[in-house]
Amino acid sequence: MRRITLIVRGSTNPFLPIEAEVITPEILCKTVRVNVYVGNQKMQLSEVFDIRVDGEAAGPSATEIVLIGDASRVKRVGEYMTDGRIIVDGDIGMHCGDFMTGGTIEIMGNAGDWLGREMLGGKIICHGNVGNYCGSDYRGGRKGMRGGEILVKGNAGDYCGESLFGGVIRVMGNADLHAGTNMKGGNLIIEGDAVMPCGDMFGGECTVFGHVDDFMPTFAEIGTVVENNQELTVFTGDLAHRNGKGTLRVGSYTRI
Amino acid sequence: MTNYLLKNACVIDPVNKISQEMMDIAIVNGHITEEPSKTAEVINCGGTLVMPGGIDSHTHICGTKVNFGRYMSPEDMRAGRAPRGNGMRAVSGYSIPTTYGNSYRYALMGYTTLTEGAMAPLEARHTHEEFRHTPLQDGLIMTLFDGDWGVMRAIANCDIKRAAALIAWRLSAVKGYGVKLTNPLGAEMWSWGKNVECIRKPIPFFDLSPAEYIQGVIKANEILGLPHSVHLHCNNLGKPGNYTCTLGTMGLIPDLNEKRQTAYLTHVQFHSYGGSGWNDFCSRAEQVSRMTNLRPQITIDIGQVMFGRTTTMTADGPMEFNLYRLYQDKWSNHDVELETASGVIPVMYRRKNLTNSIMWAIGLELALLVENPWQCLLTTDNPNGAPFVKYPEIIGLLMSNEYREKEFETVHATTAKRVVLPALDRELTFDEVAVMTRAGQARALGLLELGKGHLGIGAEADIAVYPIVPDKIDPAKQYAEIIRGFAQTKYTFKGGSMISRDDDIVADNQNRMFWCSPKIPKAYDMNNDPELIRTFERYYSIRKENYPVDEEYYLPRSIKIETETKL
Repeated sequence: MRRITLIVRGSTNPFLPIEAEVITPEILCKTVRVNVYVGNQKMQLSEVFDIRVDGEAAGPSATEIVLIGDASRVKRVGEYMTDGRIIVDGDIGMHCGDFMTGGTIEIMGNAGDWLGREMLGGKIICHGNVGNYCGSDYRGGRKGMRGGEILVKGNAGDYCGESLFGGVIRVMGNADLHAGTNMKGGNLIIEGDAVMPCGDMFGGECTVFGHVDDFMPTFAEIGTVVENNQELTVFTGDLAHRNGKGTLRVGSYTRI
Repeated sequence: MTNYLLKNACVIDPVNKISQEMMDIAIVNGHITEEPSKTAEVINCGGTLVMPGGIDSHTHICGTKVNFGRYMSPEDMRAGRAPRGNGMRAVSGYSIPTTYGNSYRYALMGYTTLTEGAMAPLEARHTHEEFRHTPLQDGLIMTLFDGDWGVMRAIANCDIKRAAALIAWRLSAVKGYGVKLTNPLGAEMWSWGKNVECIRKPIPFFDLSPAEYIQGVIKANEILGLPHSVHLHCNNLGKPGNYTCTLGTMGLIPDLNEKRQTAYLTHVQFHSYGGSGWNDFCSRAEQVSRMTNLRPQITIDIGQVMFGRTTTMTADGPMEFNLYRLYQDKWSNHDVELETASGVIPVMYRRKNLTNSIMWAIGLELALLVENPWQCLLTTDNPNGAPFVKYPEIIGLLMSNEYREKEFETVHATTAKRVVLPALDRELTFDEVAVMTRAGQARALGLLELGKGHLGIGAEADIAVYPIVPDKIDPAKQYAEIIRGFAQTKYTFKGGSMISRDDDIVADNQNRMFWCSPKIPKAYDMNNDPELIRTFERYYSIRKENYPVDEEYYLPRSIKIETETKL
């Protein structure tokens, strides 16, 4: 088991993002002498982080990366990761866990935008809030998250699970505007409230246990169901679309 | 300016009837000369294939609809990214790359002249600005006249001379090169939410049928003596059974010009469909190519479809709407005042889809069945059929029966019942490929007199040196090498300057625009025509004085072609 501890140094310009797609178990289990971009400057990983390595390397699955300090401008951590574990002690920046296929990322603080964008497998747990576009696709894309699981203990920003294609996103707090827009599959669970969710939904299943504000008029009510001792109203849609076959279940709602 | 001497070149120059001859080519001051300059840099080609620079006679690379494709498909920019370096700018995009991406990729394939297939006259400024930033190729622009109210009215009144004068005024105003008709009169019907049905039914309000309009514009085009013929995208594109409409249109075309064709039918693959619906959709390339063989006044380009992701864009608005209903994905639609319309949607051509497989086969059938390569040019209607980077693959398919058979096994299983491709064993030679990719284009576009498309003495030194030794290669078997060879030249020269060496771009700002300005007698000068002024004041969103494109600002390096007219 190898544990790599990265402590963010305060010395770099706090206004510049750090492009840290190298912070994945696959790369760091082999070497920590890698480069990251700070703004447009190429730097050694050791110039940006204090690095401590404990234990012997035995492949990515036996590697744990711990990020300590304010990592809210460290981008693309865990991109394309396949195995192993990343623990973020505080906040993390944008694009954490992009395209990941396996392994676990645990974030103790808040996560930035695009958490788990287009991820294919693995698990992300965020103990704080997440930014916009959690588990979504990128601009113009058609398939968002396709597998795996994202668990958010706080609130989610706008467009949570946009173009969701597979996998599960569970938000224990509230979701902001347009959660599950363009959903095509998968499962989106929001335990709190949501605003105008699931526009242009094609398929998949979305459950909002709390209250939905500005409920879209293009969904047809098909019955009720009881889950977790709570009665949910079941809708199908989005009927504005010719092939809308999604299921939307909500606790209570007010229409637009 | 560096002068060059290309030694031991295996030259193919169909215009001068040179077929795989070992020659030396001297370049002095941007032109090909008899004697090399004493200070010339000598390049030993070692028997590799040397051809005139490639010319694309129908592509969509600059203009508002290309740019709208870029707006609506940001995901396209995730492919084809390359950082800047060695004098190259950063580029991105696959089917609709940045203008520099287009220019660099064409240069690496040996192309030095590009024809934008359709420009709405009102959007001319944007198109010229994009061409200014396409640094390594000369540009020509086909200007859309498919729904021009003035021309439509004039032809409906049988006043061909007035139609010619209006076309001349607009061409000179927007600095276009030729006349393009996209789905003639379709744009006008599309503003009513409808489309034209083939060529015989007159449209309301104008009492004019597409057939009359096509014939009228062809006559006007010949009156103006334009270097290129009418560039025609027939009606009913992409509909099963549309080959009858294509044959009907081909039957309308008279033989009016000795030097070149009288009509250039573009992306004929999309117009050679049989069947009554998608269930019995099949190829009718045989009939269309037979008609082309019988009528030397027609030149076609194939508009080959290749499998993969791409973006379709055309001025044929209703067709794009039908495609949108098929794909249910993104769609854009645009109406350009009194002139034309357009639509853009991204598509995916799949091997496992029967329709797409048949489309793929039809393009190849056309190229193999049209006997005279001067009449059938190689295009993909970039990016509608496929991005132009697929040209080498198409050349490989046309030169090797073995490769075709191998590819045919990978397409939809029942394709063989709907097409004739497996029965064709013609394999194109290097000479025929040279005709279909440069010489034929130069003749069809009327560029031969401007010294393009050939390597004779005095011609412009647009030269592509491919890393293929024709004596030592059997294209039927070694198609992989052919594809690799045509994908990247050893050297590309444009106007005597080396623009690419291997995979490096080594020049900038070599581009010029060609545009036509017919000499109009005073009686037909439309500048002070009261009806044209009234049309602008009443219907246009801009004034007539602001309509013409400023030559100094938008076309800093341009060549104006003044033609003698018969008005």
